Amino acid sequence: MPLVNNKVGDGCVVGTENTLIDGRVLVDSLMKVVACYRQLAACVGSCTDSLELRDELRQTREKAQRLAMDICSHLTSHLRNKSLPEEQRKELELLWVSFSSSLELLHVDMCKVFNMGDTFCLANTKTLVKTGLQGGGSEVAARALSLPDLHQAQTSTLPACLEIQERSTMEKEISQIGHMIDDMEMKVNVLRWMVEPHGTKQVDQLSCSDSTSLALMTTDEEQHEQQSLCQRNPIFVLLLLLLVVLVAATLSISIVLFS
Amino acid sequence: MTIRNTLRDHGQRYRPRMACLKKAEKVVLEMQDPKTGVKSQPQRLVITTIPHAITGEDIIAWLANRFQIDAQEARNFGSMLAALGYIYPIQDHKRLVIKPDASLYRFQTPYFWPTQQWPVEDTDYAIYLAKRNIRKKGLLELHEQEQYNRLHKWMNHKWDFIVMQAKEQYRAAKERRKPDRVVFECQERAYWVVHRPPPGTVSGMDYGLDRRIDPNAEEVKTPDFYEKVMIFTQQSIMRPRVKSSVSLGALVKYCATYNSHDPFLSKCLPSNPWLTDDVTYWTLNMPNVETPTKKRVERWTFSFGELLSDQRGRNDFRLFLKKEFSGENLAFWESCEDLKWGTAGTVREKAEQIYKTFLARGAPRWINIDGKTMEITVKGLKHPHRYVLDAAQTHIYMLMKKDSYGRYLKSPVFKETVKRAICPEEHKFSQAQLEQNARNRRPSVSPIVLRQQELEQKAKMAASVDITQLCRFTTPVPHLAVYSGITDFPSSNASPSLPFVTNTPVCPSPISLALDSTSVSERRAEPGEVGGEGNSGTRAPATGHVSKSRMALSLRRLLRRGCTPSNMFASLSPKCHSAAGTSSRIQPISPDQPSQAPPRRIGNFFQIKVDIPPECRIYPIESEDEDEESRAASRGGGVGAKEIICPWESLTPQNGTG
Repeated sequence: MPLVNNKVGDGCVVGTENTLIDGRVLVDSLMKVVACYRQLAACVGSCTDSLELRDELRQTREKAQRLAMDICSHLTSHLRNKSLPEEQRKELELLWVSFSSSLELLHVDMCKVFNMGDTFCLANTKTLVKTGLQGGGSEVAARALSLPDLHQAQTSTLPACLEIQERSTMEKEISQIGHMIDDMEMKVNVLRWMVEPHGTKQVDQLSCSDSTSLALMTTDEEQHEQQSLCQRNPIFVLLLLLLVVLVAATLSISIVLFS
Repeated sequence: MTIRNTLRDHGQRYRPRMACLKKAEKVVLEMQDPKTGVKSQPQRLVITTIPHAITGEDIIAWLANRFQIDAQEARNFGSMLAALGYIYPIQDHKRLVIKPDASLYRFQTPYFWPTQQWPVEDTDYAIYLAKRNIRKKGLLELHEQEQYNRLHKWMNHKWDFIVMQAKEQYRAAKERRKPDRVVFECQERAYWVVHRPPPGTVSGMDYGLDRRIDPNAEEVKTPDFYEKVMIFTQQSIMRPRVKSSVSLGALVKYCATYNSHDPFLSKCLPSNPWLTDDVTYWTLNMPNVETPTKKRVERWTFSFGELLSDQRGRNDFRLFLKKEFSGENLAFWESCEDLKWGTAGTVREKAEQIYKTFLARGAPRWINIDGKTMEITVKGLKHPHRYVLDAAQTHIYMLMKKDSYGRYLKSPVFKETVKRAICPEEHKFSQAQLEQNARNRRPSVSPIVLRQQELEQKAKMAASVDITQLCRFTTPVPHLAVYSGITDFPSSNASPSLPFVTNTPVCPSPISLALDSTSVSERRAEPGEVGGEGNSGTRAPATGHVSKSRMALSLRRLLRRGCTPSNMFASLSPKCHSAAGTSSRIQPISPDQPSQAPPRRIGNFFQIKVDIPPECRIYPIESEDEDEESRAASRGGGVGAKEIICPWESLTPQNGTG
């Protein structure tokens, strides 16, 4: 992910616009990474726990930390700038609140994963809890790292003592994030209760296609038959493409014929 | 979000150590062992199968086998694991119980296991509800909707973050394969059913108050720490010791006595409301019920404390005491309790009231306590505090316990109560009826209403108290005058520093003996004194002069009437303004006093008014003299309706005297 570093002078309005956009982009990506990290963390200790999962966790964590450092420096420098216009400040404060909340979520998740590493040693696969999961989190990790798909070649070179190495680094990382949070509180004084969000209460619907995943469970309870729409989605797309191709072909043929 | 101020905040934020969680985790890890654990089966859904589902009956069988317990207990244990959140039901996800049939359950992923270290954050709950909103087109349950609105109000500043994070998590979840997505959603839903239970259910993770100290943190061995250890050890050494044979014997006796009354160890008749959701037991055992249950009445026979602590028992005892004409003991005890447990602002008035009603000489409901205790009490009453009447209360308590309690247990009142006590039948609810009961649960009467009723009851009781139920025992008996010497002379407005102990061998008197005699002596002294006063009236009130003349007068009177010393001293201490802090034996009198006395006196001699205050009327009035005295006292004294003056009031100037 290309990291934009905008070292712009203070009085430049265009610069501040850019900072806002940059900030927003960075914070959004951090939130994505944090969400993915949580999904991955939910697999730790379950029967799908493996070295790959731990490695994916590590990579996601590192990415999150890099992003966090950048955002921290970016936002801190701009918020400490006294000559910032009021609107920009409000926007930056909003970003600040989002950033600090994401960091807290990340911190808690990291602590939990660290603790779970204590209880669930990968060497002893008997103790891994049979939760019903079947797949690992590689797709999620790919999303987090914004890679089309994780290189499988990496997994074969994972050393067996990864866990032990990991634990010491994790401890350091956790304390680092903790310090970052504390530092943020000290350096920038953002009055959280004064921050006004943009959004409305009701979340707009993203897509109704997934509404049946829990409905699947309810149908099982009520023992009704229901078609799942989700699996049809790729088929729909393919059909549409075919249709478009057909239309394009007929049009071109007609043009050729008529011209 | 908490404004993380971890170093500066000294509040109570740590959850107590929940030892059950670690133990439950061990059991769960054993349970899911592929070889020796509960056998799992795949769950067939419409389009897919998800593995690792376990049936309720398998769980119960495994637990019963592993711990060698019976099926019911295994079921309870399994339900406990479900209530804590280690196992969740797949169907009927809102009821966290293990049913002994083929209903399916699954193990919760360790990420969602309950922990003691990290509290469940509202932010996470808000994100979860927002996610549900996205998915289900805004279809949240009623309580979830309410929570959502509440969180929106309180976390408004990060609502943008919450919505964005919800969307991101939703998108991240979509990356997974369908069956995994279903499993994850079930897990999350189960997690929130445990930690944010729907209304009407109890969360298994209720742990009470937060602690001030982190239970996981190692205690730092500073000098303060060792100081605390030393103090603790010293106090342990200083504790009084009891031989183990004695203490163990007491414990065994206690257990044997209360065994059949313990709702855990024996049946709770008619049924335990916590188990069957039927509140008959509570309605039958209300504090002021008409007919108590047999078990309750049996408890009254265990000890006096039991009798008093039960409101119904106390009422019965009060009735008995009323018949025996010793109700003032219990009334005093109750007033002391009221004083102890009442508000700090009312302590002074209550103490005064209690003194006037129970302790003063000639009080309407005088109680019989020994001299030493009375001395301590009255001394303490100068600076009344909550526990000032503790000694007297203990004395009366012991008196009642040793004397009245025994007689009560043999009395017809008690026997009648025992005969009328009811023994309710045991309920036998079927499963369907139990579920019906659970649905019909209603909140009980508000504690505010109950408190109001209690206060009304108390007021009614206080209003109906029989002060006329006095006997001649309420008259102060002569030998008890021994304690009224040094510290006070309550019925006179004397200074507290009277050096002589009065000994009144004959005390025929009504309430304010000295007062009366003072007034009498004043009046009698008038004719002799008027002249003297007239002479000295022009002069500045020479207190010493006046007091000398009064001293002479009193001596004369002593010889003439054979006055008791008390009368003498009473005359020496006229009721008038006393100089604060004076230590002289004889109080200076205000010049006004004698001049005002004559007109009144004349009126009294020739008019016989039947104007005796109620307290005086009851006492054996032995002479018209005393009668007149009391009347005069009541008019001349002017100390409100009662002539009893509290010892601490003697230091303050009298209002309304002449």
